[in-house]
Amino acid sequence: MAELFVALGSWNWLIAGFILMALELLAPGVFLFWLGLAALLTGVATFALASVLALSWQAQALLFAALAVAAVPLWRRMARGGTAESSATNPFLNRRSDALVGRVFTLEKPIEGGVGTVRIDDTFWRVTGPDAPAGSRVKIVHADGVNLIVAAV
Amino acid sequence: MSGFDIFSILLVLLVILTLFAGVKTVPQGYNWTIERFGKFTRTLAPGLNLIIPYFDRVGRKMNVMEQVIEIPQQEVITKDNATVTVDGVAFFQVFDAAKASYEVSNLDQGIIVLTMTNIRSVMGSMDLDQVLSHRDEINERLLRVVDAAVSPWGIKVNRIEIKDIVPPADLVEAMGRQMKAERVKRADILQAEGARQSEILRAEGAKQGQILQAEGRREAAFRDAEARERSAEAEARATQMVSDAISKGDVAALNYFIADKYIKAFGQLAESPNQKVIMLPVEAMSMLGSLAGIGEIAKATFGEAATSQAAARRGSVPPAGPTKTS
Repeated sequence: MAELFVALGSWNWLIAGFILMALELLAPGVFLFWLGLAALLTGVATFALASVLALSWQAQALLFAALAVAAVPLWRRMARGGTAESSATNPFLNRRSDALVGRVFTLEKPIEGGVGTVRIDDTFWRVTGPDAPAGSRVKIVHADGVNLIVAAV
Repeated sequence: MSGFDIFSILLVLLVILTLFAGVKTVPQGYNWTIERFGKFTRTLAPGLNLIIPYFDRVGRKMNVMEQVIEIPQQEVITKDNATVTVDGVAFFQVFDAAKASYEVSNLDQGIIVLTMTNIRSVMGSMDLDQVLSHRDEINERLLRVVDAAVSPWGIKVNRIEIKDIVPPADLVEAMGRQMKAERVKRADILQAEGARQSEILRAEGAKQGQILQAEGRREAAFRDAEARERSAEAEARATQMVSDAISKGDVAALNYFIADKYIKAFGQLAESPNQKVIMLPVEAMSMLGSLAGIGEIAKATFGEAATSQAAARRGSVPPAGPTKTS
């Protein structure tokens, strides 16, 4: 086994890279893809540099570690792109109260002492804002978890 | 194997493990809380996140999708002391993962117990009939109370629905009987109503018929009386005319009429089928007297020539001229 690894030499990195990438497909979101990418780059680098200077396997391992750490900012950028895309199509997924900001509702019961309830989508939401009589229209200006802050229209 | 070999292998392993520890992919629908040395610091949103390994660790993986909790069956005593078995469902959603993680130690249990106790208090203030027919009201009251109670936990209860309300079997049977009795009563009342109506209509009809008949009789009586009056008037007029004629003319004309009627009566007697032979005294003299009367009339009307003709015919009655003259 050890002899095989030694015999394969730099190919080890390429093989490991592909295996890691394949594993990423089986267990997504565990960062294996980036390790695989780092391994592939290490392999490519050793082959490219073979004519100039032959890297010892320890050096190759350290190069791999460095590349794996360097992959993090790259991956962050990709991840941000992904979130930007998803938030463009559906910005309020699992953020129901934020989706209500800007909408206008009619008070069924008055807001007294700065606290009241508004019926939205057949359920009740707790609202805080200036006192207002029943029947007046209020606009939701800000959402703070389950609590909606309203202002008179 | 030199120390450098071991060092490099361990370094690579450490780097890999550190990366695994620091890179957190939170799936959509979940929020993870991060604890730094056991203290909550922040919440990870869905997507790829970095945490500082060795310091931070993931505390709770909080589901922020709307969730359904079964409210288990329980026995509730209504205001009128009926024991009913009730179960339901509650829909809730975590809005603040931190509060839901650390403000309450067992979220689901908390919601279930809170809902169960409130079902008892809401239904306990209602009669059985109200409980069975006012589910919307029960749901709404429960929702208001429970939602207000759970708001410190950073969650929102969106709906509470009572699923089954099962009264005890003997009560259900009694309710069935009550409903049947109600229906039977309605049917009986309707039948009686129908009978009454039809009786009234029949009586009305009979009354109308009798009234109309009486009216008819009255009308007929009026007309009869009128007819009799008219005929009496006519009789009187005729008598008047006859007596006028007699007073103006001759008594012989009267004799003609009598004779005419007399002979016609004879004709009728002869025609009657049951009597072929009629024996009656014929007062030839009076007949002759009336014939003489006819003769007188004829003389008065046609003069001598007519008299000779009449004598030749002997007994033939002249045409109704003399009646015209009278």
